[in-house]
Amino acid sequence: CGFHLRGDGGHYTLPFPTMYVGLPESSPLAIDLKRNIRANGGTTVVGSARDADGVIEVLSNPEKTKTKTILALDNNGRVRQYLLSYSIVFRVLDKQGKELLGPTNIALSRPIDFSDSQLLAKEQEEALLYKDMQTDLVQQMMRRIAAIKTAGVSLPPPPADKQPSAQKPASVPPAVPAQ
Amino acid sequence: YAQTPKQRAPRVEDKTAPTVLMAEDISGRPEREIVLQRDAEVIKDKTKVKSDTACFRQVENEVQAEGDVKIWRFGDYFTGDELKLNLDSGQGYMLNPTYKLEANHAQGKAERINFINEDEAQVVNGTYSTCQSVTPDWYLRSDTLNLDSGRDVGTASKTLIYFKDVPILGTPALSFSLSGARRSGWLSPTPGFGSKNGPELVVPYYFNIAPNRDLTLYPKLIGNRGLQVGALARYMGETDGGLYRGETYVEVMPRDRAYAEANPDKKSDRWMVRSNHTQDITPDWAYSWNVRAASDDNYPNDFSKTVANSTERQLLRELRTDYHGDIWTLTARVQKYQVLQDPDSTTPVPRPYDRLPAVNFHAAQYDVAGGFDWAFDSELTRFYHPTLINGTRLVAIPQVSYPIIGPSYFITPKVMVNAATYSLDAYNTQSSENMSRAIPTFSLDSGLVFERDVTWRGKQMTQTLEPRLFYVYTPYRDQSRFPTFDTDAASFNFSQIFSENRFVGSDRIGDANQLTAALTSRFLDANGAEMLRLAFGQRFYFRDQQVQLDSSTPVVDSRSDILLAATGRISDTWTFDSAVQYNQADKSVVSQSYSAQWVPGAKKVLNLSYRYLRDSFKNVELSSQWPIFDRWYGVGRINYSMLTKKILESLVGLEYNADCWVFRTGAQRFVTTSTKQSTQIFFQLELNGLSHLGVGSPLEAMKSTIPGYQRLNDGYGR
Repeated sequence: CGFHLRGDGGHYTLPFPTMYVGLPESSPLAIDLKRNIRANGGTTVVGSARDADGVIEVLSNPEKTKTKTILALDNNGRVRQYLLSYSIVFRVLDKQGKELLGPTNIALSRPIDFSDSQLLAKEQEEALLYKDMQTDLVQQMMRRIAAIKTAGVSLPPPPADKQPSAQKPASVPPAVPAQ
Repeated sequence: YAQTPKQRAPRVEDKTAPTVLMAEDISGRPEREIVLQRDAEVIKDKTKVKSDTACFRQVENEVQAEGDVKIWRFGDYFTGDELKLNLDSGQGYMLNPTYKLEANHAQGKAERINFINEDEAQVVNGTYSTCQSVTPDWYLRSDTLNLDSGRDVGTASKTLIYFKDVPILGTPALSFSLSGARRSGWLSPTPGFGSKNGPELVVPYYFNIAPNRDLTLYPKLIGNRGLQVGALARYMGETDGGLYRGETYVEVMPRDRAYAEANPDKKSDRWMVRSNHTQDITPDWAYSWNVRAASDDNYPNDFSKTVANSTERQLLRELRTDYHGDIWTLTARVQKYQVLQDPDSTTPVPRPYDRLPAVNFHAAQYDVAGGFDWAFDSELTRFYHPTLINGTRLVAIPQVSYPIIGPSYFITPKVMVNAATYSLDAYNTQSSENMSRAIPTFSLDSGLVFERDVTWRGKQMTQTLEPRLFYVYTPYRDQSRFPTFDTDAASFNFSQIFSENRFVGSDRIGDANQLTAALTSRFLDANGAEMLRLAFGQRFYFRDQQVQLDSSTPVVDSRSDILLAATGRISDTWTFDSAVQYNQADKSVVSQSYSAQWVPGAKKVLNLSYRYLRDSFKNVELSSQWPIFDRWYGVGRINYSMLTKKILESLVGLEYNADCWVFRTGAQRFVTTSTKQSTQIFFQLELNGLSHLGVGSPLEAMKSTIPGYQRLNDGYGR
């Protein structure tokens, strides 16, 4: 049916030898994102925007824009389902500060069933869902960044290197487990 | 908030610029006085004067003009009968003037304008409006009005505000921003009517203390109760250690009349507080608090403006601190809850355990010793509850995994141990005791990624196909004697089926010999943006699930419910989201939700959703913002329970957008308990450039409950 295994040099090769991530060092999102960039092999994460070929500038930090809104009430007016939202606005600049990827918004949300008798457990489940969204967000960001080079080019990417792929780091798992 | 003021070109005049004089007829005494007759024109740098006749005194550098005088100064425009203006100092006056300011396009007329300097003008017995038309819809009239373009502020003495030539509001003093930037002043007064509170009027006052801090006061007269004062303080900033930010909202009503009547034996002072703050002490060390409290159980019923507030009955008070090492994090927190019982409800609101304190340690490293990932989590918690068993729990969870990752596949074997020791206090007839357990878990996560190029709706896309298998083995250990402090069954969803434990919390570790199978397919456009995602997932059990929360009967299913999801942005105007949980054994739907959003243009949005959870709810929700005709916009929202055939929440509103003002009116109604509803009606007139909107206004109700709502007069207010 036309499907083939994703190969080397596919949509995941980042078009930058060095990248800088404009988020605080301790941010869990930054740690996850940097890990995924490094896992691509060809890209080094640097500590300063001046030394980077690609700069990820975060215009709206998702760790600060987490929201929880009511999705469903029961007949007593008690909340039975919330919607957790998590979104980022970022852009990618080159060394000269030229915009390579304009402000890009990626918004994610997950419903969470709720009952006021399960408050403490739900607090932990929320953390789990945010972690899951973070993983999802990083994957979507990676695709957007990887597409910077290929955007506008309709030709398929050059054939993959036939070298036996190193066990690690070669690419990014398509989906990393939530824990 | 915390915006930087608008950049404005400084009003600096080139003092050395030549003065140009023009007229049909020029006469006078050289070096002293030049008289210009017919079509006189005086230009110096950014100032230009035109009139029938004018006289220019060269020594003073002063113009006196008469007859159809027009003057342009730095983009501002004045007309009048007579002008005297010193071109050096900018001082002078004008009689019977009209004016148009560059900032905010404000206009007005007066008996006289005194020019105090280049920036400042004093309007005597005049009007001010941001309306464009010759007969403005609204204007204010005051004895003296000082327009200071340099400081971007208008200040007025005794003032009447006219709307459609009818005086609607008088004030002894008023100040406002000329450019529409934030500055201290009164916000729109908002009258309303509530089913519980009677007529209400709130007139907020905004203090723009600094670019990074502000304070809004909400004095509110509630007909049936008395005077309530709310105050919201917001701030952010930076110290040597790092950033800090926070906000605190306090609401106080001394002596609530209605409450005192109904509850003569209770204190009638009503209050509530909501505060949060986060601060970096060093780049690695931060602390934060989050505190909520209210005076009594009835507070949410009596004062809530939204469902979000009325449902909030378990109020958290938390103080926490986080320290980040290079590979580890240490978090310590103290948590207590205040529970507000709902006096109208038969089911009590449960009180959660307090954590006094909880200390978490997390450490992890990736790709060490030839490709291993490891993590270690530990938590020490003292659980306190006034009526349930109390105790201290120490949990340690070491885990090691070895991810094998290629461009198109991954395999991650992982081993972990969940060890816990409990020290339980004496409870009822039970004496204090210690107990512990350690439960190992092995898991194997694996997946493949296939891709193909497809053309979808005329666009080149990449479609992926991602099968994933996740196996978990956890041996059975009897845990029925252990208390459940913070643990419950996890809800069944796509992130849960890929976690090892079917419980959330460390009091129960589910025995497992199970395999999760999932298939995801994504459609990605040329920019890597996800347009469509389809997913399927199911779990297969090779052994009965013996560990349960409070029952001893094992669950004997051989397979779980099926999860199906489809979500996407199928065109520029349509997005949708859907999820189904289906039970094959009894061929029934356990839960399902479908939602769609249509945004065909600016200020046009339609949201529709259906949500069902077995034995819990079955709700339909419709919400929209839509232009009705011309300048009228409607907003509406309805949330209907199909189980009880009852409307849970509704909001209708009407907005009129004129050039220089917006009028809003609306009504909202929502359930507070099974038998009670709260209804509110509100009105608001917002005069662009004069009164800004604050937090807690009717607009908030529209914005927060109608996804995709857009403000009509964007750019005004905050």
